[in-house]
Amino acid sequence: MRVDNRGRKVNRAEGQPHPGGKRVFQKKKVCRFCADKNLKPDYKDMRSTRQFISERGKITPRRITGNCAKHQRDVAIAIKRARVLAILPYTTVAV
Amino acid sequence: MNNNYEVVFIVRPDVADDAIKGIIQKVKEAVEGLSGRVNRVDEWGKRKMAFQIKKYSEGYYIFVDISSPPPASKEVERILRLNEDVIRYQTVKKPAAKVVKETKKENKTSQPKEISQ
Repeated sequence: MRVDNRGRKVNRAEGQPHPGGKRVFQKKKVCRFCADKNLKPDYKDMRSTRQFISERGKITPRRITGNCAKHQRDVAIAIKRARVLAILPYTTVAV
Repeated sequence: MNNNYEVVFIVRPDVADDAIKGIIQKVKEAVEGLSGRVNRVDEWGKRKMAFQIKKYSEGYYIFVDISSPPPASKEVERILRLNEDVIRYQTVKKPAAKVVKETKKENKTSQPKEISQ
């Protein structure tokens, strides 16, 4: 599976390419902070914020994580705060 | 009015325990001297950092929860900035509880009513 340039997930590995621009629909993701009211993005808790950064240390976009706009904002702020305290990396060393 | 602040600071890993205790004590005294209150002091202990700060790859993390007027948090930051053993600090102001906002709104709406009467 790969992501095309518009952020849509394209399932090419399993089937043949879709000639007519036929889209494969994904199950709609639910923001996990909306689903669980007690869960809040926290810069002190590294384990919960780790899920929202890529291997390179980048913040994963909303279209991948499925967060709602409000909580994506909170997650982004939490990650940036954690970076100041060296809990999360700004970037990982180039390979 | 008191605000809630979370202060996290990182002390050099090669500093003696007494020095760390001294910094915490200084912070406490500064807050209490400016009519604030220290709710909680958490020592997270020595942790590996995600990147090096001042050539150290480990740091001793200390978390302090304060409720105080704004000048006290400024004073805490000043103390941490001047201390050579502290390699990083961060203060976060916690948003006030929602109850406070609701009471403010009630006050605002109730005032014009009184004037019209």
